[in-house]
Order: sequence, then C-alpha cells, then structure tokens
Amino acid sequence: MNDLIDMKALLAGVDMFNVSLWLSGLLIVLVLIGVRVAFAAAFIGFIGLCLFFMQKQGFDKGLITAMKLTGQIPHSKSTTYALSLIPTFILIGYLAYYAGLTQFLFEAAKRWVGWLPGGLGVATVFATAGFAAVSGASVATSAVFAKIAIPEMLKLGYDKRFAAGVVAAGGTLASLIPPSAILVIYAIIVEQSVGQLLMAGFLPGAVSALIYAGLIILMAKFRPSLGPSVGGFSWKQRFESLPGTTPIILVVFIIIYSIYFGWATPTEAGALGAFVVLIMALWQGMRWEALKGALMESAKLTAMIFTMIWGVLIYVRYLGFADLPRAFSHWVTSLDQPAMVTLLLILGAYVVLGMFMDAIGMLILTLPVTFPAVIALNGGANVTAEMSTLGMSGQECGIWFGIIVVKMAEICLITPPIGLNCFVVAGVAQDGKMDISVQDVFRGAAPFFVADVVTVGVLIAFPGIVLWLPGLLVS
Amino acid sequence: MSASNVKTNGTTLSKLDQALFRVESALNLTAGIMVLGLVCLAVTHVLSRKLLNAPLPGFVDWVGQFMAVFAFLGIAYTQRLGGHIRMDMLVGRLKGRTLWLTETVSSFVILLLVSALVYGTFYHFNRSFDFGSPLWSRDSSIDIALPLWPAKLIVTLSLVLLWVRLVLQVWAFGRAFREGAVEPIGVPLIEDAAQLAAHEAEVLRAIG
Repeated sequence: MNDLIDMKALLAGVDMFNVSLWLSGLLIVLVLIGVRVAFAAAFIGFIGLCLFFMQKQGFDKGLITAMKLTGQIPHSKSTTYALSLIPTFILIGYLAYYAGLTQFLFEAAKRWVGWLPGGLGVATVFATAGFAAVSGASVATSAVFAKIAIPEMLKLGYDKRFAAGVVAAGGTLASLIPPSAILVIYAIIVEQSVGQLLMAGFLPGAVSALIYAGLIILMAKFRPSLGPSVGGFSWKQRFESLPGTTPIILVVFIIIYSIYFGWATPTEAGALGAFVVLIMALWQGMRWEALKGALMESAKLTAMIFTMIWGVLIYVRYLGFADLPRAFSHWVTSLDQPAMVTLLLILGAYVVLGMFMDAIGMLILTLPVTFPAVIALNGGANVTAEMSTLGMSGQECGIWFGIIVVKMAEICLITPPIGLNCFVVAGVAQDGKMDISVQDVFRGAAPFFVADVVTVGVLIAFPGIVLWLPGLLVS
Repeated sequence: MSASNVKTNGTTLSKLDQALFRVESALNLTAGIMVLGLVCLAVTHVLSRKLLNAPLPGFVDWVGQFMAVFAFLGIAYTQRLGGHIRMDMLVGRLKGRTLWLTETVSSFVILLLVSALVYGTFYHFNRSFDFGSPLWSRDSSIDIALPLWPAKLIVTLSLVLLWVRLVLQVWAFGRAFREGAVEPIGVPLIEDAAQLAAHEAEVLRAIG
C-alpha cells in the first residue's frame, strides 16, 4: 500500500536537529497563543516523533509508530510508586486550610517573637514558614495569611504596604519547605532522588525565613512607623500557645524522620502527614461538604500536575531522539566565559521568564534543556566534587540546582506584572474591606525581592546549606 | 483553589456540557476519594508493618495501579474548568472574534493530540489484554502479579472523555467565532490575576 504522502522522499536529507529547533520555536508560539502547556509540550513531542519516524519509515508506518510510542508514556510514566507522593502532599495542603492550623501558628508566633521590631511581621514570616510545613502551595499560604495577619497588623498601626508585602513574600516559603509538590515534580522530570530533594529544601527554606525576618527587623528598626513590636506576653502565655501547633510539628517530624531514618517511604510519610491533618480538620468540625471540596480540589490539582508530567515527558522523549539537550549542553560548556557567569545568566533568564509564566509551567518546560546544561557546566553527571567547576559532585549539583530553580520560581510570585501572590493578597485584603491595592502589595514586596536575591546568592556561595541534610541521608 | 468561570444557558450545547460535567465531576470526586483511600491504606500499611510486623501484601503494586485513577480520572474535569496551566498574558488581551479563533485553534491542537493518544493508549492497553490469559492479562505487576490492563484502560477511557470535552470546546469556541459572541457557553473564560484573587477570597470566605 502506498503512503498518503511520500514523507520519506520529502524528509530525505532533512536535518532532524534543525527540525527540533523549529519545533521548539513552535512550542513557544503554541504556549503564547494559550495552548495548555502540558498539551502543547506533548503535541510538539508527538509531531517531532512523527517526523522522526516518517523520515525512516514513511508516512503511514511512521505515524503509527509515533502514536504507539507516545501512547505508552501517559500510563508508564504516571503509574510509578514514587509519584504517589504528589496526591498525598496536595491533600495535606488542602486539608490544612480546614484544620485551623494557621490561626494557632500565628498566635504562637506572635507571642514568641512579637517583641522584636516589626514583631507581627516577623511572626507572620515564621507562621507562614510553619504553615509551609503542611502546605506546598505558595498562593494558598499567602491567601490564608492575608486574611489572618493583615487585619491584625493594620489594627496595630502597621504600614499597609509593609504588612501586605510581608504576607505576599512569606507565602513563597511554601515551595521550598517540605512537603513541596514542585520539588517532587523536579525530581521526577530530571530523575533525582525525591527524598533527597525534600530534605534539601528544608534548610534553604529556613534560611529564607530568617533572611526575611532579619530584613523586617532592620526595616522596622530604622523606620519604626512601619510596624511596632507587640510585647507583654508572659512565659506561661507563650507555652500555652504551643499545643495548637502540635499537628504541624507532628507532620514535620513524621516527614523528616521517616525519610531520614528510612522508617517509611516518602509516600507513606506523606500519607501519615495527611492523616494527622485530616484528624485535626475533623476535630475542628470539618463536615462532608468541606471534605468533598478539598477532595475535588486535590484531585483536580493532581490531574493537572500529572498531565504536566507525562505531557512534558513526551516532549523529553522526542528531545532525546533529536539530541537537543546534549547539543545545548555542548554549546553552554563551550562558551568562552566562567561557568558561574553562565549559571547566573541562566538564573537571570528564569527571573525574566517567571515574570510571564506560571512557576510549574516554566520549570517543567525549561528543565529538560537547562538541567543537562547545568550538569555539564559542573563537569558532568559523574564528576567528583574535587574535579567539578562549581565545587560539588554531579549528583549534588542535581539536588542543589533543584533548590535554586525552585527558589527562582518562587521569586517570580512577587514580581510584576503577574506576581500571583501579590494579586491574591490584594484580592483577599479588598474582600475584607481593607484599603490595599495590588500596587501597594508589589511595593511592599519589593524589599523581599532583594532579600530573595541575597538568599540565592547565599545558596550559590554556600551550597552546603542545601547539601548538608541530603548528604546525611546518603551517608 | 480557583473556581471556574463557565457560562451556561438552555441551548443543546450547554445541556450537553452540563451533562458531561456531571460525569466529569463524579469521576473527579472518585479520584479524590481514592486519594483519601490511598492515605488510609498507607497508614494501615505502616502501622501494620511497624506494630504487627505484617505489611499489607502488594502495597506498592496496588498503589501503582491506582495511580492511573489519581492521575487521569480528573483530566477532563480539569479541562472543563480551565485548570490545566496555560500562559494567558497574550491571549488575555485579545477580544471578540480574534480571541475565539485563537481559542478554537488551541482547543483543536489539543484535540489532535488527544486523538493520537486515544489510539496509542488503546494499543498499549490492547497489548496487555487477552481473553485467553489468566485474569485476561498478558503482563502483571512485579510483587503480587496484579494485571496491568485495568490501569491502562482507565487511561484510555479518561482520554476518550477528554476527547469528547474537547469536541464540545472546539464547537463552543467555533460557534462564538462564527457568531461574534460576547461570552461563549460551556467553556472556561480567561480570568485575570485579579479575578483569580477574588475567587481565592471567595474560597476563604466559605471556609470562614
């Protein structure tokens, strides 16, 4: 039987590497015209595979081979045990909304650190960091604290921009501190250890929170009108505030302890965490309608994330055939400039991209190409720390780069024009009849952008902050 | 936690959309309940292993099989509500026919992909499925030999449902383009960051 189109002749002599560059350009066009990112990536991957096989097998056979190959990926890449962690982490986040944990956390943080200059701001940052330990969702964290913390800060005469900026920035801590869905996605896309990445996020998240707190204290010290301290709590009152935070401490303990000591798999740890938060939510009077809402949202977000994963993996499969990641790595390593400059340029590109793209979409689309390039920049996947360019082994570089890019993605949540955390804080504040505009939040968050740049600098200068905990896990 | 922004009315298109949405919602809820089931199963597994030294047999195999439920049952529901990530900075600035034409094209691109995936995933299922084999299965999981075809079939069926959803969306956007409609029926309309924020506030108000 003759082919519908003689693709073998049509594609004879066509350089498939050049085709892959054109297709990557087409992918950008599709994303720009609003095709859902997961499907756009899968579509381009499928078209690429079609062209690749049609060149060798002709139109009909090539099309069938491409469809069969593409059709294996959604099932085979989604039904791995390691990925079962994602729905449990997502469920923890949604249930935490209903468990009343935020109020307890804020109250405890207020009593313990409220005496510092800008005390309520510092309390908000520590409370968001605590909430991040049960929620991997930055936007949700900002929304929930906008409702609790901003009214209280305004009541005490805090500057509205300052108060709103603290909440918007505090929300970004959720993606680094485990449980973090975005770190799990990174681990799956670039084939790194989920457990190690989760452990790796813990200290950088804590460092980010400390740098934020330091910035707030400095700002409030030099401009006391930004926010007064809140004193007068006795030690008894402080200790009385702690039992309400028990579920969070328990979840953190379960996840860290399980992964660290191999007591349970990450999925089991996530499930135990979700169970604790579920009991707490039911204890707080959560009813079926609310539980149903949490389950529907969890399932929706899970479907979205898995579609991203298999969609991008179809694209990655094609890129492998086209050899694009290796060619890009080769180009990056051949640049006549220090590796650190190239790395900073890549990170700068993330800041620009993040101004216009959703964090997960940005990471998932770029990682198949940037990850191998950064690993190559460091000297390859099997390089030792001594022989490497950036001072860490190939495996450590994979973990370290994950934390850095996730932090970059988080920064984009507070930068204009689409920094979603800022919009959400303004939306929730306006809903609560507070006079806070989006511009106010962006201005309030600007100093925290500087703090984030400092944090990234610290994590680049001292990779040990990222690598110490996962290093213990390996040893 | 964004809510949806989908208009409905009494037209055939809207009725079909709502009927399909009921099926999609039921499947999405099933996926959510299964996630809760996974949590309970894992807790039982850990406690049973630690306290009674008796882990649930084939726990990893069962979880692997149920991953298809978590990952795929909600896929059409998410598409209906516009929950799959997109970049709408550019398309959000378009208006009227230009916007509906762009939306028709982008839905059609996904429809083409999903058509190919339905074929490919069905082939993947069909290689596993055999009436003549034990449990109708040519392949099985490593630990307790669960048949793999049910999970593969779930993937295909979920994609078929997504295919139907996409046909409706191409129809709805195409009609809006032809008629120059202000707000098409049965499709997620673009929300800017401010509208998303308002939805977030609504959710918080509902929680109390």
